[in-house]
Amino acid sequence: MKLRTLITALLAAALAVLGLAGCSVDHSGQDAAKPTIRIGYQTFPSGDLIVKNNKWLEEALPDYNIKWIKFDSGADINTAFIAKELDFGALGSSPVARGLSAPLNIPYKVAFVLDVAGDNEALVARNDSGVNTIADLKGKRVGTPFASTAHYSLLAALSQNNLSATDVQLVDLQPQAILAAWERGDIDAAYTWLPTLDDLRKTGKDLITSRQLAKDGKPTLDLGAVADDFAAAHPEVVDTWRQQEARALTVLKDDPDAAAKAIASEIGLTPEAVAGQLKQGVYLTPEELTSPEWLGTDGAPGKIAANLESASQFLAEQKQIPAAAPLKTFQDAIYTKGLPNVLKQ
Amino acid sequence: MSVFVDIVPDASQVDSPAERAPKNRWRGRLTRAALPLLSVVVFGGLWQLAAASGVWNQTFVPYPSTVWRAFIDVSTTHDGTRGYAGYLLWEHLYMTLRRVLVGVVIGVALGVLLGLVMGSIGWVRSVLEPWLTFLRALPPLAYFFLLVIWLGIDEAPKITLLALAALPPAAVATTAAVVAAPVGLTEAARALGATRLQVIRDVVVPSALPETFTGIRLAVGMAYSSVVAAELFNGIPGIGGLVKDASNYNNTPVVLVGIFAIGFSGLIIDGLLRTAERRAVPWRGKI
Repeated sequence: MKLRTLITALLAAALAVLGLAGCSVDHSGQDAAKPTIRIGYQTFPSGDLIVKNNKWLEEALPDYNIKWIKFDSGADINTAFIAKELDFGALGSSPVARGLSAPLNIPYKVAFVLDVAGDNEALVARNDSGVNTIADLKGKRVGTPFASTAHYSLLAALSQNNLSATDVQLVDLQPQAILAAWERGDIDAAYTWLPTLDDLRKTGKDLITSRQLAKDGKPTLDLGAVADDFAAAHPEVVDTWRQQEARALTVLKDDPDAAAKAIASEIGLTPEAVAGQLKQGVYLTPEELTSPEWLGTDGAPGKIAANLESASQFLAEQKQIPAAAPLKTFQDAIYTKGLPNVLKQ
Repeated sequence: MSVFVDIVPDASQVDSPAERAPKNRWRGRLTRAALPLLSVVVFGGLWQLAAASGVWNQTFVPYPSTVWRAFIDVSTTHDGTRGYAGYLLWEHLYMTLRRVLVGVVIGVALGVLLGLVMGSIGWVRSVLEPWLTFLRALPPLAYFFLLVIWLGIDEAPKITLLALAALPPAAVATTAAVVAAPVGLTEAARALGATRLQVIRDVVVPSALPETFTGIRLAVGMAYSSVVAAELFNGIPGIGGLVKDASNYNNTPVVLVGIFAIGFSGLIIDGLLRTAERRAVPWRGKI
């Protein structure tokens, strides 16, 4: 009896050890002998996913392990950067503005513009809510995922119409919950993004899109960020990364079908659905990217710094950060080394 | 929230032996009051040291004073901002406690009722037990989205989630307690001519009460540990919503304020339940 108990206990312990160590599922094919580059990505459609799907970085940097880590929000990517667990990350302009301001002061730089929000992010009102203009939203319930670029755009759209955040009932909802609440009639309007947005548009109408807000000087972008110490230690890797991201932008422009196919296999949608989404977004060409309008060139950071500063001021007005950081902070945080020539392969 | 299953003998037992000198008794009380205090002081000191060492970023380990300032900010109206997200800390806590109370009352009432039926009628137990175990194994986050689709984004899905979290522990504990009612007592009552209902009312329920109370305390703990999940969508005002929102902004001091608020109120609630238990079941551990 005693022996049996002992054997059972040993078996259980062996199983536990196996479960913890041996049987983990890992297809990343990491080689312990090579240094690892850690890249945080999100599933919004952008060139980042094309680079990942085609394994361009793995090809271009055979001396490194490339570890792609999926995140669900810019806030999580910020946390990972603070923890020094990431070398590159893809996140929205609003989280970047927050990360570069006090108290976070995350040591990272903006090295790429992955996309600019166009018609793929919009404020829509339900048809039977009686809302036809943004001003009609007063007192209505509006859903948006808090701390996202959509949240930022919604507040910007409201303030354009002389409404403050307290004039409407803001509800913190993730896109899938927005759809549920919308169909039950629990919310009157929502600021969200594709693919949920297309479902909402079936029974609602656009009040404003991020494309319009960008024209009005409040663009929201998805940015590629690189950790300061990594950029200082491996500038050549940053150059390669930027080249591959630029290559993806070219594919997005010249061969949208191939782009849609690569992105579709990353986010589990059909290529047709992705192609529709890509049409509604704004993707810069490498030439536009290095123009003064966006990143700028080596030594002359572009307008993105001003855009981030305005986002930071906005966050301070919304009491989400104690105070806005000065323009200089954001200019210093634009990684322009070698631009524009470095993008040419 | 942790549940101490009365390992510490209650005061009357410790203090009753007559040979113990009053001086010793006082020392005992002093130790019991001082030790928790001392542990808090040591914890605060270690925290301050960890923050001052500078090994970790301020976002990870803020100073105790930063958290205290966040606590003051969240509890007062300052520079025209009211608390956090327009509500003061006590308002967040009040909304959460209200949800937990309603959810737990529904969940525990159903759970105890279910446990009584399952414990007394064998075939009902066979039918319901797999379902109960199934529900118990589910993390609330897994089905919360379905509740949102079915019940909307207001109070209904939150309270339902808390009730669903509270129901299984109450039901399982009650079932076990009813099944374990001493056969000798029930058969004696039967032999003396009691009806089935009378046996349940006068023998089974009183003998099951102590364990049921443990189940209720576990149920409250389960519900309380689900508040952040329950307030994931549209959770403001609510202490879980506050923690979630602050973590979205990497606002660690406010997250810690929320965590402390949840933890301390949990301790107080468990203390109240233990007092209620001693009042309601004074015979616990003495049969």
